[in-house]
Amino acid sequence: MYELLRRTADRDASATAVLRGSSRATFGTLLESSRRIAAELTRRDIRRFCIVEPDPVAVIPLLAAASLTGIETCVYPPTATPDAVRDMLDRFDHSLIVTSRDDLSHLCDTVTAAELQEKPYESIDDSLPAARPHLVLTTGTTGAPRAARHDWWSLVRAIDLPTMRSGAGQRWLLAYGMNQFGGLQILLHVVNVAATLVATEEFTPKSGLAAMRDHGVTHASATPTYWRFVLAELAADGRNAPDLRQITLGGEATSEQLLAALERAFAGARITQIYGANEFGKNRSVRDTSTGLPLTTLTEDDDIQLKVEDGELWVKSAYAMRGYYGEEPLDPDEWRRTGDLVEVVGDRVFFRGRTSDVINVGGVKVHPLPVEDRITVVPGVQMARVYGRPNALTGAIVAVEVVAEPGHDAETIDAAIRAACADLPPASRPRSIRFVDQIVTTDNKITRRAGSDRSEEDS
Amino acid sequence: MSENDLITDAIRGFLRRHHKSEDIDLDTQLFAEGIGLDSLQTAELSVTLEDELGRDPFSEGLLPQSVGEIVDFYRK
Repeated sequence: MYELLRRTADRDASATAVLRGSSRATFGTLLESSRRIAAELTRRDIRRFCIVEPDPVAVIPLLAAASLTGIETCVYPPTATPDAVRDMLDRFDHSLIVTSRDDLSHLCDTVTAAELQEKPYESIDDSLPAARPHLVLTTGTTGAPRAARHDWWSLVRAIDLPTMRSGAGQRWLLAYGMNQFGGLQILLHVVNVAATLVATEEFTPKSGLAAMRDHGVTHASATPTYWRFVLAELAADGRNAPDLRQITLGGEATSEQLLAALERAFAGARITQIYGANEFGKNRSVRDTSTGLPLTTLTEDDDIQLKVEDGELWVKSAYAMRGYYGEEPLDPDEWRRTGDLVEVVGDRVFFRGRTSDVINVGGVKVHPLPVEDRITVVPGVQMARVYGRPNALTGAIVAVEVVAEPGHDAETIDAAIRAACADLPPASRPRSIRFVDQIVTTDNKITRRAGSDRSEEDS
Repeated sequence: MSENDLITDAIRGFLRRHHKSEDIDLDTQLFAEGIGLDSLQTAELSVTLEDELGRDPFSEGLLPQSVGEIVDFYRK
């Protein structure tokens, strides 16, 4: 991170790096902040810390400083409750939080990013250390978040460094939290190409749509769930869609229906899907506006290799994480399971869901995504989430939560959903249909793991 | 509306969704020659009752054979 920031600031220190509300930060100020922080961290002999901060103007220099000094960092979800932060502190052995929040000081030592920048530095050694660890949290849709151990050397190498194309004029919306791999990818890319990052006070689709309009966002990368909510907000406010040049979807499987809806709403935008994960350190892009991956992906032999085994996608990546914090290191040359279930149909590899999402209905394994794809095209359905609901008789049944479009009758939608699923195998048919005001998400991804029904979420 | 009515209404709603006859009484059998529920339909009846009435006999380890036995569960 530091080397990207330095190179970009050296080219044009006055270029705008971040816009957030009425605030603006340049690459030059971020670089200066990172140097002051690096000097102060060294003075205090800090070896590792976590960050709980929503503002990229604070986070970028902290990450850059850490990557310059070899200090291990980890960004926690900025809105995590004190109890959730305590849990992460315990699991990841952190004893110092860099944060501007005042509700965390009882947990351990805290310091603000501003305090770390108060003192000037005499000189700074720009040479980068051999080891530059960085922990990136997983989303936690399949359980408690884990911390993937990365190194800044490979994280930076995975960004398209050699091309050094200019991003001048590009305004990228930050729709992921900076604790997420997707958010980190956006930060690195924006700094690499000298684009501008547009950040919001909250990481919500509603805030994102407002920021797209207020700040002239040209590029936005988000999860399919996030984009569904943006489309719902657009339908509700009835205003013209922002004039985006690039839409990127990643982080979870998408649907043909969503891609078509985005093409209609954002007619001038190029649409790209990225397949990647925190664990394998770099994304693969698909620009052909069909769901899934081209079959040729399985035969490409580059830094990221993919194969299908027993219906699951496996990966071998030159940028893969070293392992999870607290667990045995992984062999960098070994194939790893992705947890993504796929089906090869013709010349396409389609995603069928996550291994953890599979619903076991009386011994029959049901993948929720194909059922969900059936339901989301039913008239009156704005959004749907298919998941496994525990049941004493069959172990689990297929359940669906539905957000209805305004003006549509629940009973009519219920009947239409059952009709739409009537030709599915009996075990796959939804046996529980609930109408809700909103779908539960984690970091703008739908949670489908078995047993994640509302009664559990609400408790 | 009495509790009995709530229970039978919930059952009738389930039957209506499955295009089955709603002409039931306490003696109506749930399985075989009665309503003829299979395991998945029974599981669905279980969640319907749980959603509408807060609890259901199937989740508590019971296997009522008739509408009347379901009603008896809620009486206890």
